[in-house]
This record gives sequence, structure tokens and C-alpha cells, in this order.
Amino acid sequence: MSDLSGQGPGQGQGQGQGQEPEPDVSADSVGPDTGRGPRGDLPEAAMRRLEATSFSSGLSVPDFAACLDIGLQPVALVQGFCVMQWGWYGPGSGTMRGMSPYMGGQQAPGAYSETYRCPHGFVSNEHRSWGQNLEQPWVEEAWTKGYHTAYGRMLEEAGTLGAHGVIGVADRVSNVADTGTTEFHFLGTAVTVEGGPPPAGGVPWSTYLAGQRLTKSIEAGFMPIAVVAALASVRIWAYCMTEYYMEGSMGGWGNNSGPALVEQVSKAHMASRQLARKHVRQQLAGDELHGATMDVVTRELSAGDEVIDCTLRGNRVRRFKDFDPVALPRPTVRLS
Amino acid sequence: MSPETGLGAAPVRDIRAEMLKGAQSLAAPAPPSKERGITSDLSVDEALLLHAAGWEPLDLVCGVAVVSVPVGVWNWGRGSISLASDAHDAAVDQAARLLRGECGKVHGYGVVGVRVDVTVNPHHIDVELVGTAVRPMSGKDSSGPGNAAALAMPFVSDLSARDFTLLERAGWMPVGLAFGASFVYAPRRSAGTAMKQTRQNVELTNYTEAMYSARESAMEKMQRSALGAGGQGVVEVKVTEGPMRFARHAIGFTAWGTAVKLVAEAHQFVQPQMVLPLDDAVVSFEAESLRNSGQGKGRKR
Repeated sequence: MSDLSGQGPGQGQGQGQGQEPEPDVSADSVGPDTGRGPRGDLPEAAMRRLEATSFSSGLSVPDFAACLDIGLQPVALVQGFCVMQWGWYGPGSGTMRGMSPYMGGQQAPGAYSETYRCPHGFVSNEHRSWGQNLEQPWVEEAWTKGYHTAYGRMLEEAGTLGAHGVIGVADRVSNVADTGTTEFHFLGTAVTVEGGPPPAGGVPWSTYLAGQRLTKSIEAGFMPIAVVAALASVRIWAYCMTEYYMEGSMGGWGNNSGPALVEQVSKAHMASRQLARKHVRQQLAGDELHGATMDVVTRELSAGDEVIDCTLRGNRVRRFKDFDPVALPRPTVRLS
Repeated sequence: MSPETGLGAAPVRDIRAEMLKGAQSLAAPAPPSKERGITSDLSVDEALLLHAAGWEPLDLVCGVAVVSVPVGVWNWGRGSISLASDAHDAAVDQAARLLRGECGKVHGYGVVGVRVDVTVNPHHIDVELVGTAVRPMSGKDSSGPGNAAALAMPFVSDLSARDFTLLERAGWMPVGLAFGASFVYAPRRSAGTAMKQTRQNVELTNYTEAMYSARESAMEKMQRSALGAGGQGVVEVKVTEGPMRFARHAIGFTAWGTAVKLVAEAHQFVQPQMVLPLDDAVVSFEAESLRNSGQGKGRKR
């Protein structure tokens, strides 16, 4: 039977209530092997709350019951925040592309880019004689930093409490007012596995799943490793043909006889999704990604000029036993 | 296991022991792996069901195409707006081709659970297809001559894993997405007719007729597309219809679904078991709902 008799997680690990937390412990040394109370660089109020003699969880009652059934003991509702300001990436920022395709962009090595050239020759200074699809690694890096900082802080809270994992994770990325500021927020329920060893390295595992869905995943032989996410950002600098196609004014320069594939925009869309998948795969290290969700936000700046942001997130899981499928379920018809 | 149905009672597993086993597996660092990680947007239930039916996910795949609509096609006119329909067909074909290409790269036999997103803009039509490439698991018969054909031309289906499993059990297989779209001008009423009808409760037959005309044309195209893909019919047909938001005098009708064909000798009856639940429906809970009452929808995992 799970021990839920009002004993706090710190105490459950053998710490006395009046004991002072260790004063000088770096944040990255937190782990479930402590046998001590909250420590690290958590705010004082958070430490007081976490030292209290009751557990908290964000689980519903059915999920809570399922959690106990599989031998998980809830420890605390843990959270992580990070508010990032987005810098200026316009002209003169050093990250802006060059003023011509020959002056060189500032993409990181290996980043995606494609250049499109006008088929008409010189027409006028207003004519877009070239265009580019350009991955924006600086945007991706800023997003990744915010996301992983908030995630790391949630794990830090969990690790400080001696938790082995965090279940029912919910994350949100939202803009704070119109200030070019983005808030990253993580929330989940820290748990310990009854009688189980701490994970290697002391870093708790995490999953978006909870309740019966987590139970089914474990039963099928998949152990959660981490929630993973990545953003891919692609900027389209339209060249003349893309501009004409997207705003419908061929201006005498395009082929107006029938529908045509808008190659630059189509390729940018494909690239944003493929890059997001590539970035996530780099975090998998051979494990599997389950229950992925892909969200795409397209911002049209002017005819053909767009920014495409693709976010891919899901559960990184690892098989811990040989393939053992569930029995093929029997089809049923519900009478009600 | 019942030899007649291929179904068996689920073995009783000690889930706490399984959890402990899982936790112990993470106690030691994982050896470095160069394996290509599998990605999938299937929910846990879908993944388990596919596994139970002998299929495994390979990769999250997508196909996106943007096709231009020539200038002036939405202006007033008569009859069908064939250039818009052609643009729609071209976008769908290109997106499906890219999706199949991605599926082929990972040696998938097909793509299930495809999310179809079609947006008709005044000057371009955007189509996005996203799904999970799958293949039969080792042990399932995958050596027949039909499988070379499956690898060369993977199926594409917007059916969920549950529907795909049921379809396969009934002896059918998806072959591809069948699409049909038609855009039609609603003819102008004469000035006299318009004036006469100003104060009447009256059917606008020009719109009704345009709707019927667009419907017939789109359904016919979808049917032709299904037959062209080698299907015998289309299941889960979805339709969208109505005036275009940017050109109220033009009616659009699109229809799509999964083209299927019978691969068994005859349809296999699934014979579901009737159940009478004694409990109320379980309240589904998402952790996202903790934030506030207005954001409780959460996402599928």
C-alpha cells in the first residue's frame, strides 16, 4: 500500500522536519539520492512549501488512483517558469541576411537555406530579383533556451524532492503582452517509484501522460524518458514569382494561364516540418517519440514574405522489455 | 486464444512489477545508440492497437503544397470555376506525392491517421497532410508479391488506427485518399427578379442550383479519384460546402475520404459483442485544465 499518511516527501526520504537544508549545493547536483530536504537554488517560499508534511498533485482522482495502482507515489506539484525577451533580428543586427545573395547570409553552418533567382533579368529596382528561404537558428536557439530552462527548473524541483519522475506534464508557451516577450511554463506531478531505484544521473524522467494512458504505455513495455520539443523557424524572402503568385498580380511577368505550384513557399513549409522533426530526433538518441503533436504558425509579412514556425513535441520513451503486444481487443457495441 | 476470431483474453500482468522493471532499466545509463529514433503522432491507444494488429509506426511524415490560383478566376462568371478546381487537385496531388515520398524513404507500407488541412485563399490553395508511416511487424506476412507493390505505392489513409484495424480485420485495406473539389458561380439574378424578390420569403434557386452543381461535380471527381487509385469505394467521406468567404457569389464543395478495396476473398464479419456498461462515462481529465477553466481542452497524446 502506498504511504500517503501525510508524510512529506523530504521526510519520506529520511529527513527530519527541523533539519536545515544544505546551504551550498549547486543546482545541477540535485537528485533523488539526497535523503535530505529541498535544496539547490529554489526560492525560499518554494522550499518552505516543499518541506511541508503533505503531498500535492495535479492529478485527477482517476489518474491519482491509476498512479497508485502502478506503484507511483505522488510527491508534489512541480513547476518551472522562464520568461524570455526576443532580441532584435532586423537589419544591422548581425543576424539579418545580406542585402544580396552574394553578400552572404548569417546562417549557422548546416542550417537550411535556398536561393531563388528572378527569371526575367533586370526589370527595376522594385522588382524582387532574388529570394531566399532561410532557417532562423537564432530564433530556434532562443526558443530552445526558454523551453529547456523552464523544463530544467521543473525537474530541479522534482529532483530536489527526491522524485524519480514527473507525470502529467503540461507545458505552455505564450506571449506576455506585446513586448516581444515569451513565457514558458511547465507543470507536472513529481512521483517516486515504490521500491524503485533513482534514475541514472539523478535526473527525473518525465512524460505528458498520466493515469491509464501511462499505465498502458508501461504495460506495453515503454518507459518514459522525457518530454521533448523543438521549434523550427523558416523565413521566406519572396522573389518576384512567389510575390506574384501569392498576391495574384502577375503584373505581366508571370504565367497566368493556369494554376502553378508555388515552389518557394511549398518548400519552406516542408522544410519547417522536416527541421522540427530533425531537431526532435537529435534529442531522442535512438529512443522513440510517441504521441507527437505538430503545431504550425504562419505569419504573413507581405505578399509571399512569411515566417513559418513549426513546433513538434511528444513523449520520448524507451523500450524496457521485448515486444509484448496487448491482445487484440474484442469489438464491442455499447447498449445504453 | 480463440482460433475462430484470433482474439484472446488479455494475459493478466502485474503492472507494479512492470513499473519497477521499467524504473530499474533507467537506473543505469543507456548505452550510446546510433539507431534512428521512431517518431509518431499516434496516441497511446492507437499505438497499442496497431501493435496488437501487427503493425508498427516508423516516422511522422508530412506533405505540404501551395498552388496558385490565377488572377481573376473568382470574378463574376457562369458555370464551373475549373481553374480553381484544377489548383485544388494539383495541390492535393503534390502533397500526397510528398507524403508518399517521405513514407517510401523509411520503407513504410502506408500512412495512417492522416490529418488533412485544406485552405482555399483568393490567390492560392494550401494543402497539408500529416500522418504516421507504418509497416507490418516482423512475423506478420510481409513477403508476398503485393508487398513490393505496397512499398512502391504506399497507401494513404485519414482513418484513425482504430478504424484502420477494424477495416483490416474485416478484410479491407485502404489504398489512398480520394479527393474531389468543385467551385461554381451562382448565376446572377436579373434586375427584375432581384427587385421582385426583395420583400419575399423565397428560395434563391440560383444558389441552390449552384450548390447541387458543385456537389455533383465534386462527388464525381472523388469517385473517379478512388477508382483511379484502385479502390472499390470510399469510407469516412467528409464534405465542406458553402459560398467562398472572399467571393460570396462562388460556391465551393469539397469531398474527401479514404478509398478502400477488398483484399480478402469476401468481407469478414466482425461480430461485435454487445456490452451494457454499469458505470457513467469516465470523466476525462487533462492536466492543462489546471490552468484555468477556459483552457481545459488539452491535446491528444
